[in-house]
Amino acid sequence: MHIPDGYLSPQTSAVFTVSMLPLWWQSARQVRKVVKSRYVPLLALGAAFSFVIMMFNVPIPDGTTAHAVGGALIAILLGPWAAGIAVSIALLIQALFFGDGGVLAFPVNAFNMAVLLPFVAYGVYRLLAGNAALTSPRRVWSAAVGAYAGLNAAALATAIEFGVQPDLFHKADGTPLYSPFHLSQSIPAMMLPHLLIAGLVEAAVTAGVLTYLQRANVPVLRINAPNVALTPAEVARRPVSPVRVGMVTLGILALISPLGLLAPGGAFGEDAPEDLDLARYHLSAVPTGLQKYTDFWGNALLPGYGDGSPWQYVVSAIIGMAAIAVVAGALVWLLRRVRGGEAGAADIDGGSGVDTPPVKEGSGSPA
Amino acid sequence: MTEPVLACSDLRYAYLERFAALDGVSLSVAPGETVALLGANGCGKSTLLKVLDGLIFPDSGEFHAFGEQVLEDKLEDEQFNKGFRGRVGFVFQNSDAQVFSPTVREEIAFGCLQLGLDRATTADRVDDVVSMLDIGELVDRAPYQLSGGQKKRVAIASVLVMNPEVLLFDEPTAALDPRTQFWLIELLHQLRTAGKTIVLASHDLDTLPELADRCLVFSEEHRVVADAPTGELLADHDLLLRVNLVHERSQLLRR
Amino acid sequence: MTTSTAQSQPAPAWLLQREVALCPCGCIGKRRKGSYVAKTLSGASGVLRQAMSSDDIAAQPGLLQRLDPRIKLVSLLGLLVTVALLRSLPLLAGAYVVTLVLAAASKLSVTFFIKRVWLFIPIFTGIVVLPATLSIITPGHVVLPLWTWHGQPQGFTEQGLHSAGLIITRVATSISLVVLLTLTTPWVRLLAALRSIGVPRMFVLIIGMAYRYLFLLLDTVDDMYTARKARTLGGGGDSAAGRRFVAASAGTLFGKAHQLSEEVHQAMLARGYTGDARSLQVFRLRRIDVVWTICAAAGAVALLLADRGLGG
Ligand SMILES: Nc1ncnc2c1ncn2[C@@H]1O[C@H](COP(=O)(O)OP(=O)(O)OP(=O)(O)O)[C@@H](O)[C@H]1O
Ligand SMILES: [Mg+2]
Repeated sequence: MHIPDGYLSPQTSAVFTVSMLPLWWQSARQVRKVVKSRYVPLLALGAAFSFVIMMFNVPIPDGTTAHAVGGALIAILLGPWAAGIAVSIALLIQALFFGDGGVLAFPVNAFNMAVLLPFVAYGVYRLLAGNAALTSPRRVWSAAVGAYAGLNAAALATAIEFGVQPDLFHKADGTPLYSPFHLSQSIPAMMLPHLLIAGLVEAAVTAGVLTYLQRANVPVLRINAPNVALTPAEVARRPVSPVRVGMVTLGILALISPLGLLAPGGAFGEDAPEDLDLARYHLSAVPTGLQKYTDFWGNALLPGYGDGSPWQYVVSAIIGMAAIAVVAGALVWLLRRVRGGEAGAADIDGGSGVDTPPVKEGSGSPA
Repeated sequence: MTEPVLACSDLRYAYLERFAALDGVSLSVAPGETVALLGANGCGKSTLLKVLDGLIFPDSGEFHAFGEQVLEDKLEDEQFNKGFRGRVGFVFQNSDAQVFSPTVREEIAFGCLQLGLDRATTADRVDDVVSMLDIGELVDRAPYQLSGGQKKRVAIASVLVMNPEVLLFDEPTAALDPRTQFWLIELLHQLRTAGKTIVLASHDLDTLPELADRCLVFSEEHRVVADAPTGELLADHDLLLRVNLVHERSQLLRR
Repeated sequence: MTTSTAQSQPAPAWLLQREVALCPCGCIGKRRKGSYVAKTLSGASGVLRQAMSSDDIAAQPGLLQRLDPRIKLVSLLGLLVTVALLRSLPLLAGAYVVTLVLAAASKLSVTFFIKRVWLFIPIFTGIVVLPATLSIITPGHVVLPLWTWHGQPQGFTEQGLHSAGLIITRVATSISLVVLLTLTTPWVRLLAALRSIGVPRMFVLIIGMAYRYLFLLLDTVDDMYTARKARTLGGGGDSAAGRRFVAASAGTLFGKAHQLSEEVHQAMLARGYTGDARSLQVFRLRRIDVVWTICAAAGAVALLLADRGLGG
């Protein structure tokens, strides 16, 4: 997922540099406030950990490699801002010392893997985990799903950044100056290995470490969740909220749908996926599923979506996501009204923190 | 008797709220005294030293240093922190943890710079310590490239350079070759005669008579079972056997 | 807590007996190629050794070694932008040759330098760019027909080859520049340079520590992997097992490393650290720095002007 120098126009890098500067600044501020100097080594450890995880390139059938990032785990343990710092640093060391990822492309890589990934992962995790106890299995699978979503979001962003280059930057005769691949090629090429392998690795690493910590080192879990109940017994009084589950399903759908919209278009066969010889591109496995989305969106919302230029797909993807958001919002609002008890339950939630004070080293009774 | 430099009463501490490491430990160290902590693996020596260095704070019990109680909140105070850190130095058992700077020179300079000494004075002090510990050829290397014994020397240098009144050593002779061990014992001697207060954890009973005035023996239940002058204690074979410090076949008992 | 006393229990009988190996056929079995975990690990150790040896190179009396690291860092960024803006293949190739000259002037072995740079290029650029040279991705004038499709010859196109050439030389030149910087600058000086160009102190501190942990983590992974290999029959193992191993080790690795990070922090606290690390380093600009800056800026401007004339 590391973009080297030379693949992106300096203009793209400049845009990302300008947008990353306030993000880094904000993360430094946030971390200083939340994480404190005591966790500086832990952050450094997170960076090193992420570095090592990124080195475990998983081989994928088409000859390249995909890898996990570890950003989801750091986001869950120390918060997404801290994860931003840790992964940025891992990426910087890789760019400077190992030529893995470019120096000019560093802000772009950092945006994908150090901002998008942790925030998506953390958001999904928080939604799914609700107020489950810190040691409950639900935390683990929520984290796994979050990690999966986060990594794929990052991969998708990378693919888009690649894919817009040939349309934006080319010579007069059409020779691409930077990455030569269009969205329709870059997205399936990136997403396949990440959906099938790297996402699962990220999920497995996150779940594995979390399970370990639940057994071996609960205080670490509490750094970023000081007020959450520790054992299932402490939260027993509350059922899983169907609102949350519904919202999350929709959220995941929204994440996947642009993929479905984009993948079979463009050079792969214009608007008619039927006459595609996908096997030639080693893509035969996925499109059956994607086809359904294509059909659904194609027929239901934006018939034919334009003349097939990648931009139209992006636009339709954005409209599709907006539509989902509206539907989801309406659904949530409706369910809230129907159930009515949510607000009260949330209060109990907040109260559960009272009987488990935040732990600091040295408190509590001797064993 | 003068007021003790370090005094703790009834310390209790458990890691992760589950694993007990200290269970009612009291100790008082007079200025200029050298005290050795003895006990089997896992009895809590390192934990006690960390309490004495204000790195972890007991679940219950009190710890006073230089007549003032040491508390987590108080150490947040700049003035108190500088005073305490400058007067107490700690050589960790695991030197991997102790050397964290990019080069040996930076490593040794770290403490002085943190405590606000200016660069020139610091650089001079670093040079003195480096020549004293004979690690001149290591100064520009990265600490993680060093061998275990070299790391230990660097760790000791990085503490001595701050010239603390109280020195805490956690198993200083472990990982050192015999020649370096003797050199270290020699060094500890010098420090003692210079009037430093020293607390050290050790497993090496043979060198103990030369090293420590007094010994504190831990039981495996994390309590202090004996506190006596070194000679007296080493003669008490029953006690040493009971706390698993020696084995029936140990050399020491044959003498 | 109960503590087991080592000497109270007699050792189990099997431990005291001599045994051949658990699997008597062990040494006859065929050698297996290592799994990707093994490859990654040996790769990691290689990278580690390389990073270690770079401090030796940085200590040699070459051209770039003599420059102030801040100047080097800033001029590197400027040159990277220049290279990214170039559109003409001959000029890019020229810039690449200049990096080779700089390497030689900095007492680097040119073959080592080329190897170090091109090691990374085939992995990403080669594989990624190759399909783009074909007419299916980059349509245009087919120079080497490979097959026909719907009556049209398909194969390498002029545009495709040109664009691939552009990318590969640009990537090679960019990586060369970065490698030049890191090979000729000791790690500490580079960190200090980062600090002086405005990277926040906390970041620099974390970068420094992360770099250190990296070695430790890699060593730990290496140890864990070797321990596992020693315990399994036939060594290697397949990719699936390797993947499971990675997932399972991650937890243990994190646990070990976390304990270490706590200790490191304690060690820092013990020596007066309160969140703001100071450094011994001071920088001084010299004449060679000024000369270099002027040369680099002139070179960059010349390249860009020439590019306006040549490119298109
Ligand atoms: N980080 C930790 N987490 C959990 N338990 C710990 C931790 N550190 C120490 N302990 C436990 O606390 C107890 C005391 O440990 P301590 O390190 O103080 O022993 P020690 O006397 O220094 O042993 P040794 O001679 O092996 O160095 C041990 O039982 C150990 O298992
Ligand atoms: Mg110990």
